[in-house]
Amino acid sequence: MSRFAEPMSRLIEELKKLPGIGAKNAQRLAFHILRSSADDARALADAVRELKEKLRLCSICNNITDVDPCVYCASPTRNQRLVCVVEEPTNISSVEKTRSYNGVYHVLHGTLSPLHGVGPEDLRIGNLLLRVQASEVDEVILATNPTVEGEATAVYLADLLRSAQVKITRIATGVPAGSDIEYADEVTMARAMEGRHEV
Amino acid sequence: MIAHQAEAVVLRTWPLHEADQIVSLFTRDQGKIKGVAKAAMKSRRRFGGALEPMTYVRASYAEKPKQELVRLDSCEILSSPLSHPVDYVRAAVLAFFSEVLEDTLPDHDPQETVFRLLLAVLEYTRVEQPWMPLTYFALWVTRLMGWLPDLSRCVFCSVPLTGAAAFFHSQANGLFCAQHKHGGYSQLSFDSHALALRVFRSPISALVTEPWPRNRAVDLRRFALRSLERNMERKLTTAAVLSRLGG
Repeated sequence: MSRFAEPMSRLIEELKKLPGIGAKNAQRLAFHILRSSADDARALADAVRELKEKLRLCSICNNITDVDPCVYCASPTRNQRLVCVVEEPTNISSVEKTRSYNGVYHVLHGTLSPLHGVGPEDLRIGNLLLRVQASEVDEVILATNPTVEGEATAVYLADLLRSAQVKITRIATGVPAGSDIEYADEVTMARAMEGRHEV
Repeated sequence: MIAHQAEAVVLRTWPLHEADQIVSLFTRDQGKIKGVAKAAMKSRRRFGGALEPMTYVRASYAEKPKQELVRLDSCEILSSPLSHPVDYVRAAVLAFFSEVLEDTLPDHDPQETVFRLLLAVLEYTRVEQPWMPLTYFALWVTRLMGWLPDLSRCVFCSVPLTGAAAFFHSQANGLFCAQHKHGGYSQLSFDSHALALRVFRSPISALVTEPWPRNRAVDLRRFALRSLERNMERKLTTAAVLSRLGG
């Protein structure tokens, strides 16, 4: 038999499903919600409900959005012919933080992962190919992570896109700004040396 | 707390909490161990790209008595799969090594020969030549696990198979002569059979100069992968991917 009343047990069980939330944390959060005002609790419930009801994928770039097309794809000030391909919607904010990129995005929602059985058919590639084949794109920037799976995905996409008249580029990798070369591993350092440029 | 430093190959990682990772390492001295790499996803200083699966590292870790997970302090890269170009096939072959070893190696049991095999195949697994190291690894690891009978003779009647047709079945170990094959058996070509015998006599470096296109020894690879799956008693996710890619 549960130690808590049924609604409390149910909330704890649901919170435990969240990443990084164990039994103790779920219990702490559930009691915090119980102690908070009815308005706060309702606002939280509404936010969760609206998240699922209103959010969808942009039909052009697969970004998570509440309007279709998303703010990037609909923006008249953005260069719609420059597409940055990222693994996850969360990667967009990392590129946006630079404030120097003015193109649009394409979200794959994953990478090729043989270990997890994720193949090309599981990635959202179709609408990228359509955009490129319709000659709507001048350059595709492959901004997948510099991991084995990210590299394999970038090479796979580059092979797919090669037949189209489009420039395909890969993001640079190297020593992080503000870090110390002493701590760079051999692969990072080798890539930094390969990607050197004239000053 | 006992501090260790060991050569190891990273087999797999799993996220833990906000920024930690659980890392499965195949060490030369202690066999397969698992440890926690604190803040591995947030700080790249201690680990950098060293926790990428199939990276050969010198790992520093601390072991506490009666605790299953060690504390992984740092990893220095000795050789990384990212030092060479990666495509889907090479990524799948590397993932296959990882999946097989993660599942077959017992914890805390040194396996020097398997460790040397892994280092050898990692050195030669390249975008230009992924199929040879895959076949070499699949055959050798099956043998080193004690699952592969003598391939030069029929497992049923012991008649030598050299120069004769050899057959295999997904539900039986080893090879069969024409007389003892039944329905559902597949033939191993003469070339593939001779190649299998050469694999067990030669170092991988002796095979690396030969052209090894995707369609070479497909039947031998299939035989090796089915043997592994049968003995591991499960279907390998990466083997299915490799089959789709032509392996």
